[in-house]
Amino acid sequence: MFKAISTTARLSKSQISRSLPAFSTGSSRYASKDPSSRKEAPKIDTETVIALPEEAKEKQVYDSQICVPTKVDLSPITGVPEEHIRQRRVRIYQPPKNAMQSGTNNIHHWEMEFDTRQRWENPLMGWTSTGDPLSNLKLQFASPNEAIEHCEKNGWVWYLDCPKTEKAYKPKSYGINFSWNRRTRVSTK
Amino acid sequence: MLRQPLSRALALSSPSRAAPIAAKRYAQVQAQPEKVEVFIDDKPVYVPPGTTVLQAAAMVGVEIPRFCYHERLAVAGNCRMCLVEVEKSPKPVAACAMPVMKGMRVKTTSDLTKKAREGVMEFLLVNHPLDCPICDQGGECDLQDQSMAFGSDKSRFTDIHFSGKRAVEDKDVGPLIKTIMTRCIHCTRCIRFASEVAGVDDFGTTGRGTEMQVGTYVEKMFLSELSGNIIDLCPVGALTSKPYSFAARPWETRRIDSVDVLDPLGSNIVVATRTNEVLRILPRTNEEINEEWLSDKSRFACDGLKRQRLVTPMIADSRGNLTPVEWEDAIVAAAQAIRDCPPSKLVAVAGELADAESLIALKDLVNRLGGENVCTEQYFPMEGAGTDLRSSYVLNTKIANVEEADFVLLIGTNVRFEAPLLNARIRKAFLHKETDVALIGPEVDLTYEYMHVGDSSSILKDLATGSSSHEVLKRLQSAKRPVVILGADQLKGSEGPALLAYTQELALRLQDQLEDKEWKVLNVLQRTASQVAALDIGYKPGVGKVLQDGPKVVFLLGADAGVVTRETLPKDCVVIYQGHHGDAGASIADIVFPGAAYTEKRGTYVNAEGRAQQTLPAVTPPGKAREDWKIIRALSEVLGARLPYDNLDEVRDRLAEISPALVAYGDVQNNNYFAQARALAQSLQKPVSGKLDVQLKQLEDFFMTDAISRASPTMAKCVQAVLKQKQSPY
Repeated sequence: MFKAISTTARLSKSQISRSLPAFSTGSSRYASKDPSSRKEAPKIDTETVIALPEEAKEKQVYDSQICVPTKVDLSPITGVPEEHIRQRRVRIYQPPKNAMQSGTNNIHHWEMEFDTRQRWENPLMGWTSTGDPLSNLKLQFASPNEAIEHCEKNGWVWYLDCPKTEKAYKPKSYGINFSWNRRTRVSTK
Repeated sequence: MLRQPLSRALALSSPSRAAPIAAKRYAQVQAQPEKVEVFIDDKPVYVPPGTTVLQAAAMVGVEIPRFCYHERLAVAGNCRMCLVEVEKSPKPVAACAMPVMKGMRVKTTSDLTKKAREGVMEFLLVNHPLDCPICDQGGECDLQDQSMAFGSDKSRFTDIHFSGKRAVEDKDVGPLIKTIMTRCIHCTRCIRFASEVAGVDDFGTTGRGTEMQVGTYVEKMFLSELSGNIIDLCPVGALTSKPYSFAARPWETRRIDSVDVLDPLGSNIVVATRTNEVLRILPRTNEEINEEWLSDKSRFACDGLKRQRLVTPMIADSRGNLTPVEWEDAIVAAAQAIRDCPPSKLVAVAGELADAESLIALKDLVNRLGGENVCTEQYFPMEGAGTDLRSSYVLNTKIANVEEADFVLLIGTNVRFEAPLLNARIRKAFLHKETDVALIGPEVDLTYEYMHVGDSSSILKDLATGSSSHEVLKRLQSAKRPVVILGADQLKGSEGPALLAYTQELALRLQDQLEDKEWKVLNVLQRTASQVAALDIGYKPGVGKVLQDGPKVVFLLGADAGVVTRETLPKDCVVIYQGHHGDAGASIADIVFPGAAYTEKRGTYVNAEGRAQQTLPAVTPPGKAREDWKIIRALSEVLGARLPYDNLDEVRDRLAEISPALVAYGDVQNNNYFAQARALAQSLQKPVSGKLDVQLKQLEDFFMTDAISRASPTMAKCVQAVLKQKQSPY
């Protein structure tokens, strides 16, 4: 079993995280459980290695002066079951415009939602039931940064989903309906 | 763990994100005209001349109510809902059609504006039936919302108490769109969509005043592959979805943002569900892929997700009938068959709806067992650079940039049915940018005029070698941003490698001459949603050769295209099918594993331009069906060749190991090594003599192309209706 954990942990942590910048972090509460993290040699980034002596000295001074732990992790005290912290993914997104309507009043914010889990029709009343306490949790934020901060604080794994929705600006013209030499000329009314 | 590229995450807070980079790069460089200052509710805003009042107001966040105006359609200016007061103007002006003038002061909340809106609303409601409780648009109706926000509480029009409201006969425009024409407010959005975007100029108005009607004049089906979009466009309940009629109210459904997999473009969709059932699918705006349109197959084939489903594992009994068994038995039986089979005789075939996670799991499993035979159903020539260089099998121009092209050459592809929204882009360029289109291949209806160069493949050779005297060659050479699109279906024949080589040669020669070094000319349009991911992962395209070698075990991962049949396999061959529908694959299988459809799993799909996107689970898989990669992972455990991933994050880490592009969701990377691919293909430029033919020629061919749409009764009705319409004299 231990072997299994270390294999998977090595696969997921050591090989990937160096090549890809990871933004999402799991809960730090579980970091100590990861056996491979204790075995690893400290990572030295390239810039430190190639830095000139005076640069290195400057950096050292700089580093030694600022040490403020900014990361707040609420997950040990919220009482949320481990399952709902470690196994859930939070999607941070801007709600899409309803294709059926032209109004945009309710989409100028950011939301977070959890992954969908099983729902079923309750045989008693025909209502929809779910065993997922987070299924109706949809929080709204003014900016993605706020949402990210909230997720980090609660130890949730998050990701951003932002397809391009801004349209390139193009002046609309009533006149091109009637232009005589362009293909935009309207044939039908 | 899902990761965002650093640049993306950092760019979020910066205002430059709003600027469309791709569009800017290729926009014609011209002197920016002086901006005009206008005041919207006393807020100053600088806009380019020619901007309409409505657009200027949108820039400062003031939304003017509208019915007929739609930003992707021509301005009609006939609903009058956008009337606003402009200082020093005697009458209110229609904001959607009025260009701004210097120093214009627009008042969108003044008494006059409010009165004008109330008046318009009163007129619209004179003849609009009060049937909101039984109307499918109820709850997401622009008229409903705007009458609450801007309308009056009473009507002075009492004549209808005596004469009754106007009533209009309903039209029959096919099995997808239900019309209740009495509700129509004559905004003409459907007419403009049909003539501009769909390119099927069938809708129009007849009569005047109260007698005015929107319709097709003679009873006729709306023969378009994009017809469902007029349901979205209709601001009232005059055009509603027939399959979804009286099914649900918008506030009852849950909306899950996902990605469509029924065509190679990966349109963004919203899946509306209730009680573990997909009720409808709507488009979701993504400027880089589908704008806000969706093809009919993607929109209406969702009822196929409830039918013909494989809900339990099955094993063929002694008489060859598939009988339901437990997962354990099915997996043990499959493991037995695979263990008894020498690795070289084990063949895995991936179908068109397979997600990247299951593709990688299957390939890793086969490789761990010592086998190398993992292939896809669709063919792609492996001669030359083959699938080693990504540039030779994706749309390098990218979907959104096709709009900026000034000449498009289509080779052996009917884009209209293979990728309807790419065709809509080409049509948009044709209308608004005066782009010309040429086609080599059979003469098909692309909804716009094009130069038909012929259908023999030697034309392509002449174009590539520069020996052609056809006008197309001159047009291509003089074009500043040419686009060449080759249909991947052409590559399966014996002339496939040569056709690809010539297309590369032609495209690269054009690209070398361009001033714009960023512009990419070469495009290969794949037919299915899974193909690009499969080729990225390292699947071998095509099954021809491995089937000839007489496999002992064939593992079909959703392979339903019918390229693997019992006749091509040896008698004692064991077929394991994993997928979600009982279709061609399951019918020949000895062991069946029920998998999850695209609305039921978190899966990665790479679209035809190489953009990775993920579907999100909207409902749970029916019965005992499970997520696909998990099934393969379980099988590997029993086989003793355990795959080293236990959860989705680890599978995706494995995908990232193979190619970071597979997990860079939403992003598409530029491809390189065009010149190398061209050089490798040089020796393949052999004489060609065949004819180019496409599979999907007519609208009736479009609707049922994969396991989901073949199971969909709505799609079957569409085929019937189109065939019936063909009989009609109109």
